[in-house]
Amino acid sequence: MTKRRLFLELENCIGCRSCLAACTQCGGHEQRNRNYVYDVNPLVNRQTMPLMCLHCVDPACARSCPAQAIQIHETGAVLSALTEKCIGCQNCTIACPYGIPKFDEEQNLMYKCDLCIDRTKDDIPPMCASVCPSNTLQWLTEEEIEEKQQRHDLGNDKWVTSMPYLEGETNVKINLPGILEGTTKLF
Amino acid sequence: MENTSVKEPMVHTGSTNPVNSAFASHFAKSMFLTVSGLVILSFVATRMFTHVDLNLYGYMVGTVVFLAGFFYRFISWGERPPTKILIKKGLKLLFRRSTLKTSVEHLATYRFIWNRGVYRWTQHLLIGWGCVLAILVTFPLVFGWMYFTMEESGYYTIVALGMNVMTVPADGIIAFLSYNALNISAIMVIAGVCMALYRRLKNMQARAEQTFMYDFMPLYLLLFVSITGLLLTFINVFLHGNGHYVMSLIHQYSVIVTLIYLPFGKLAHIPFRPVSVFARNYREHYGKESMKECKVCGTEFVSTEQSNDVINVLGQNDLEFDMKDGFNLAELCLPCRRKYRISKFSGFATHEVPIKEANQDAKG
Ligand code: SF4
Ligand code: SF4
Repeated sequence: MTKRRLFLELENCIGCRSCLAACTQCGGHEQRNRNYVYDVNPLVNRQTMPLMCLHCVDPACARSCPAQAIQIHETGAVLSALTEKCIGCQNCTIACPYGIPKFDEEQNLMYKCDLCIDRTKDDIPPMCASVCPSNTLQWLTEEEIEEKQQRHDLGNDKWVTSMPYLEGETNVKINLPGILEGTTKLF
Repeated sequence: MENTSVKEPMVHTGSTNPVNSAFASHFAKSMFLTVSGLVILSFVATRMFTHVDLNLYGYMVGTVVFLAGFFYRFISWGERPPTKILIKKGLKLLFRRSTLKTSVEHLATYRFIWNRGVYRWTQHLLIGWGCVLAILVTFPLVFGWMYFTMEESGYYTIVALGMNVMTVPADGIIAFLSYNALNISAIMVIAGVCMALYRRLKNMQARAEQTFMYDFMPLYLLLFVSITGLLLTFINVFLHGNGHYVMSLIHQYSVIVTLIYLPFGKLAHIPFRPVSVFARNYREHYGKESMKECKVCGTEFVSTEQSNDVINVLGQNDLEFDMKDGFNLAELCLPCRRKYRISKFSGFATHEVPIKEANQDAKG
């Protein structure tokens, strides 16, 4: 089975928030979305960008959890807190460098993106990537990601999928907006 | 379970205390002290081992094996840096006024599960309290901390820790409840487990994530223990005790297997759960002491203590999130931290635009 990854092409985002809506519908998500869409410069233009758990290879959230409630799936996905283990200390929310985990005070429970593990463990794209109409969220093989890299490679170290512009190696890969790379997109 | 947990570097704490250095490890020490404690209590309670019920011998072995597994798990767990900090500070804060209320809500009435759904609360209450009741009855009987004598015909005397507690009529309500306690708890557990199994078969949310070993196994174990336990009563009442011996062996084995499994699978949350009280105390206490202000927007979002503890724990794992902009990421409130990341992606300082994040709940 080909193993694919989530790939974010940030500047494609049109702010429709389909990914948020789709997230609520995933198995195990109990109608609550775990991802974010931000206005980049809200007072000036309508550019938006999505943000979700990047599924760190060495996840700060899991490292900081005293209860070992955050497990890492064999696919590399960093799962949401196990309901019976999470003791509600909220360390994970403070530790995550991107501010991803959400906390429900009433239920005394953390919840976060689990990369729709019931889908992605069988290589079905996560809900957000399945619905994204603008190709911002994509579900790609390593080769496809590699190829994207070539197409954007300007030979000036400006290609940045993930490292070193993130805080650590991640399983989700991200491109930088083309405008920062000094190139227009070649769709 | 197919998930693998994060690999942790082991932190060894060398100890110079003479009592501690008598033992090779924390594990050996905990094991020794607990087993000695059990033996001493039983010695006193059984009036120097004169009232030992050897039918219950299997359970003693089971308990000791359980303790070994429990300490093994608990100690390796307690050595992880975040756990260590929480346990240390939690113990210090144990005598806060709110501890009692929090403990009742977290460990007895399960209020937070009520907020997750009435159905789940009901099943958890039945299973949880069924098990607690069974343990409260079984273990004192096994170790002789409690037993019944009939000194006067028609009256039972309940003896606890070697002292006569009360004498009750053998056909009275207290006596009835006492010798049916295990039947009642079995029925509670069976009802709760059936509810849980039904939910696991029908609920799409549960079906998406569950695995056999982690989610079903403990339910089947509890069901097996309860049914074999009830069958014992059934055999006594309706079959005049035929097959009682075989069934009691099966029941004992089912209990022992469950005890051995307990510290490792899903049921491990039973002994570990009290730490949630520590976590609540920790947040309340240090939250009152001083709150951390977000380095960008100034909102108070976590206690200073917790912010420092998290930075410290991450440091021990070689994770440093000090930014060139002069702050650690753990010093930003969550919305600012997310916006800061967007600013890294776009090159525009989104986090410095003083506008609340809009429409993050997919509600249109
Ligand atoms: S992005 Fe945050 S929540 Fe996701 S794995 Fe990394 S540390 Fe955990
Ligand atoms: S809130 Fe829950 S998942 Fe997060 S660190 Fe605390 S125990 Fe772990």
